[in-house]
Amino acid sequence: MSDVHTRLSTIFRDVFDDESLVLRDDLTAEDVENWDSLTHINLIVAIEKEFRIRFTTAEVSRLKNVGELEALVAAKVKQ
Amino acid sequence: MLGDRLPNLDYSRLVAASKKIEPALERPVLKLALLSDAATQQFVPVLRTLLDANGFSTDVYEGGFDAIELEVYDSSSKLYSFDPDAVILLNAAQALRASFSKRQNSATDFVSESLARITAIWNAIQSRSRTVVIQSTFALPLERYFGNYDLKVAECLSSVTCALNSGIAAAARQQNGVLINDVEGVASLVGRSRFFDDRFWDMWKTFCSLDVLPAVAQNIVDVLMATRGRGVKCVVLDLDNTLWGGVIGDDGLDGIRLNAHGDGEAWYRLQLFLRELRRRGILLAVCSKNEERNALLPFESHPEMVLRREDITVFVANWNDKAENIRTIREILNIGFDSMVFLDDNPFERSLVRDLVPGVIVPELPEDPSDYVRFLSELNLFETAAFSGEDVRRADMYKQEADRRAAAASFASVEEFLQSLDMRIVVSRFDSYHLPRIAQLLQRSNQFNLTTQRLSEVECERLMNDATVVPLYVKLSDRLGDHGLISVVILQPNLEELRITDWLMSCRVLTRGVEQYIMNEVFAIAQQQGLTTVTGRYIPTAKNGMVRDFFAQFGFAQIAEKDGETQWALRTDSYRPSRVFIKPLEKETAPAIL
Repeated sequence: MSDVHTRLSTIFRDVFDDESLVLRDDLTAEDVENWDSLTHINLIVAIEKEFRIRFTTAEVSRLKNVGELEALVAAKVKQ
Repeated sequence: MLGDRLPNLDYSRLVAASKKIEPALERPVLKLALLSDAATQQFVPVLRTLLDANGFSTDVYEGGFDAIELEVYDSSSKLYSFDPDAVILLNAAQALRASFSKRQNSATDFVSESLARITAIWNAIQSRSRTVVIQSTFALPLERYFGNYDLKVAECLSSVTCALNSGIAAAARQQNGVLINDVEGVASLVGRSRFFDDRFWDMWKTFCSLDVLPAVAQNIVDVLMATRGRGVKCVVLDLDNTLWGGVIGDDGLDGIRLNAHGDGEAWYRLQLFLRELRRRGILLAVCSKNEERNALLPFESHPEMVLRREDITVFVANWNDKAENIRTIREILNIGFDSMVFLDDNPFERSLVRDLVPGVIVPELPEDPSDYVRFLSELNLFETAAFSGEDVRRADMYKQEADRRAAAASFASVEEFLQSLDMRIVVSRFDSYHLPRIAQLLQRSNQFNLTTQRLSEVECERLMNDATVVPLYVKLSDRLGDHGLISVVILQPNLEELRITDWLMSCRVLTRGVEQYIMNEVFAIAQQQGLTTVTGRYIPTAKNGMVRDFFAQFGFAQIAEKDGETQWALRTDSYRPSRVFIKPLEKETAPAIL
């Protein structure tokens, strides 16, 4: 498990208030209860803060699933 | 009410906390309506958490996106059936920018049209409900079309925003029930570049960055708490190293640091800040471990001292522990602990007061006195929902009362104290000028009221014009202040007797010998009119137990009793006048008692 994956899992569990949540690459907003536009913002804000990165508007709207998000974060952290 | 410091206002933490709020039945509920031309969902959990911290449950109604007018002009809208305690109008700078770009007329016209639109919304709400309206200001835009020259050009967004904000402020000054949520104030405090994050606007129509959204929410909560009467009424001050640098007892008048320029400027600035609060009506009290003589010295003799002794409502300097002294101050002022702020440079004293006097607000003052004023300002402790001349006078009234108590404490006997008060009294027949206050006192007095006849102003006027009746009002003042009209006594001569049909008095002036003075007057009247007996009645109510034995104390004999109602009589020649320390007021025209 990568460091990014572990830290993302913590953020997801905090934001969705669900300790049993398991992050899989193909997980999408439809699979998670309460993953609406409001929690999506909360998620983005929390990730930006945790990794000290900044998403562009385009990146945020392009994301399809957790796998893509994780890859994007990993790429940004390396920069 | 307590404005948390910005670093503690973390958006994610507040949202997470909102999910853990326990429903509590006994807590007061605040019903808030959020109306905005931006998205408000992000505010809801944050407001809930912040209000929870202030002891409130929150019920929120969110209006439709950009549907302010649709809600407020429709009397049958959900907004009005929700019946909010406050309507929070959040106007986004981004929405202003959009409508500015579509303007047809000049910038001046645009400002007055926008202002008219906003005030029309206030009026619509206020004509349909009794809720408080909280109007936001507009954050100044980041973009400057002319650079620094922007402000010299009326036709640009910066100038328009400035003009609109002052217009909103001016209009709100004229309109009761409209309060300001100064979003521009927050934006300039945190910095405009941090305030705006247009990604959030583009994606979700959130008008500020989520980083500073809690600060905006806290600002709203501060205003809401002020509408609920939560607010600081008194600042309790340590002296040494808080109000001046150094220790007066050790360093002496010349040794303490306090001056407008130099190494004492930080304390000087704090005193200026405190004096403005005092002018606003916030009470100042001193709580210092010192010899009182030393503590007073700078107030009396230091050339650079800003605060003077008369600015301090209660002055406590002794060697008792500060918790005890703060309790004393609270008792004298008769205010809640939660409306007191305690400022002390000493961490030990702060923690002692925090532990032993729960409720008192004890800010962790920064180490450097140069940061005191800034720190206190950022806490926003002195939010209010109203300001009037009465607020300014209140500090003086409290001061008079505190002086009275202080005077009472230092006299050998009560007589000596009463004598020192130099009380002056007026006992006079009703006159038309005083009728409203007389009627008011008749309606309101419950405790010191022998018969509790609720005479109206019209009935008082009839008595005034009836030469067979002796209707009297009593006014009192002393060297510490004016008490105004404090008692009403109505006498009716009947054959050989003088009947006391009404006697009531404000409880503020108990135990000063006022009733004794009046009774002396009553018997003097009976004597002058050649009446042999004075009679009176006591009619018990749920509240007037304190005067059950009123007549007995003057030597009246009970002559009848029925269902608790008692009748009393005393022969005029048997009355022994009481010793009193009140003199008639000479200046006013001699009271035409008869």
